[in-house]
Amino acid sequence: MLTTASDLGKEASRLQNQDTTISSKSEIAVTLKNCSLSFGDVQVLNNVSLDIYKNEFVSILGPSGCGKSTLLRLMLDLLQPNAGGEIIYPSKDLSLGMVFQKPVLMPWLTAIQNIALPLTIGEKKFTKKEAKEKAEGALRLVGLQDFMNHFPHQLSGGMQQRIAIARALAADPTVLLMDEPFGALDEFTREKLNFELLRLWESPETSLSTVVMVTHSIQESVLMSNRVIMMSPRPAGVDDIIPVPLPSPREVGMEELPAFHQTVKELRKRVKHL
Amino acid sequence: MKTKITDALYPVGFAIGFLIIWELAVRLLDIPIYLLPSPTDIVAVIDSSLWSHMLVTLLEALTGFVFANILGLITAIIFVHSKPIEKGVFPLAIALKTTPLVALAPLLVVWMGTGYSSKVVASMLICFFPILVNSVKGLKAIEHEAWELFSTYKGTKAEIFWKLRLPTSLPYVFSALKISTSLAIVGAIVGEFVGANKGLGYVVLVSSYHMDTPVMFSAIIASALCGLVLFWGISQLERKIIFWQRTDDL
Ligand SMILES: Nc1ncnc2c1ncn2[C@@H]1O[C@H](COP(=O)(O)OP(=O)(O)OP(=O)(O)O)[C@@H](O)[C@H]1O
Ligand SMILES: [Mg+2]
Repeated sequence: MLTTASDLGKEASRLQNQDTTISSKSEIAVTLKNCSLSFGDVQVLNNVSLDIYKNEFVSILGPSGCGKSTLLRLMLDLLQPNAGGEIIYPSKDLSLGMVFQKPVLMPWLTAIQNIALPLTIGEKKFTKKEAKEKAEGALRLVGLQDFMNHFPHQLSGGMQQRIAIARALAADPTVLLMDEPFGALDEFTREKLNFELLRLWESPETSLSTVVMVTHSIQESVLMSNRVIMMSPRPAGVDDIIPVPLPSPREVGMEELPAFHQTVKELRKRVKHL
Repeated sequence: MKTKITDALYPVGFAIGFLIIWELAVRLLDIPIYLLPSPTDIVAVIDSSLWSHMLVTLLEALTGFVFANILGLITAIIFVHSKPIEKGVFPLAIALKTTPLVALAPLLVVWMGTGYSSKVVASMLICFFPILVNSVKGLKAIEHEAWELFSTYKGTKAEIFWKLRLPTSLPYVFSALKISTSLAIVGAIVGEFVGANKGLGYVVLVSSYHMDTPVMFSAIIASALCGLVLFWGISQLERKIIFWQRTDDL
């Protein structure tokens, strides 16, 4: 191969992934290049460059209002970066899933119909029966199978958010973007769903390979992710990326490990200095 | 359930009390019948012809109501899908709204005669605006994140319309429907005032010429009843269709 160090920048990066020392883990799922974004005069994102790999769980931490949700919207193609910015998903069989900060359920649909909604719109059409089966499976994952035919107004806020998570999972995403998905949940449900999400992500049976999760909780970010991305205040850029030296698969009780405390402390320090 | 029944008893109780006081006042103070007939005087003049007049008015109003609302909803759908049309036509619709129906009604009779159609059109004209304004508002009232959800999963324009916009607009549509139930009756009666030989408006007009106040009262009460029936019907429908929203008014 003619690849030299200076070529690493552009097109070569995709070819580069396949050779030599790099393990399957470092195959790129999504690349953000020099992404800036302004709403009118207000600059929200400032030159964000980021590689996120397959089989990786990444958390994004940052002060409120710095542009975390905006960054996810960029990755979903709901917003376009300013000129010069670029977002690349190299994979051919890409399927994006999204959990918003709010549940965003249709009040006129039952729990199961809400979950089946993404399966019945757009290109990825399933038959009614298939969609229902998939939706039932996703409902079981979040433990709400008994509330299949309830409407959103009959469910608590936490249950609604679980429906929203199930809706994202039902569509078999390969890359799942989550915006504070557990923010509205109580501690018990939160911990349970943390590990359930990890199991789903680890499981070879699901198509899910990459998770990008925005969170306000330092503990949660350390417990769940391989890397934690710290964003600076607006205009936000990537302040630092901190790897989490915890063994995988993650288990209950790892919060007791010294490595956990160390990483949490490290992150706390950075939050302060921001 | 129990509270609902007792809730209904309150207005009924007060109405009966009011009627009794009315009856007593008229009799004790000897008020002449052409000024204020007593409730029993009014009941005495009610016969089958009142019912047939009421049906005529109700039918005119209902036809106008249905056509106006279908037309208004379709216009609103066109508006939200085409900015130029909305910009061009909305001011005209507002101009139409500010023209008093009473001023237009004679023209309608000149054009369409004294029959059924002039009243239907009068009713349509007055019902059209509420549904148009509310539907435009409702169809635009979708949550931004809901739109993003549909976009993320590559929902088509048609899917966004049927599965998101239209259901979101329903509460707005129904509040317009409820407003226009009473307006529809007003439209029909104004049409009847100008030129008709049946309907409650006609009865009111003729009885006023003859100073036949009890008949006039019976027609006025019947017209109020028409509005109430329509309003109640729409409210029931609303409760069934928009089950996810609690509507507290009536
Ligand atoms: N559509 C928009 N138009 C104008 N400004 C916007 C828009 N969306 C977001 N902003 C601004 O961009 C900034 C970042 O918003 P964003 O929602 O991404 O923050 P965030 O990091 O997700 O905050 P939080 O942690 O509170 O959810 C905010 O200052 C906000 O006011
Ligand atoms: Mg946010």
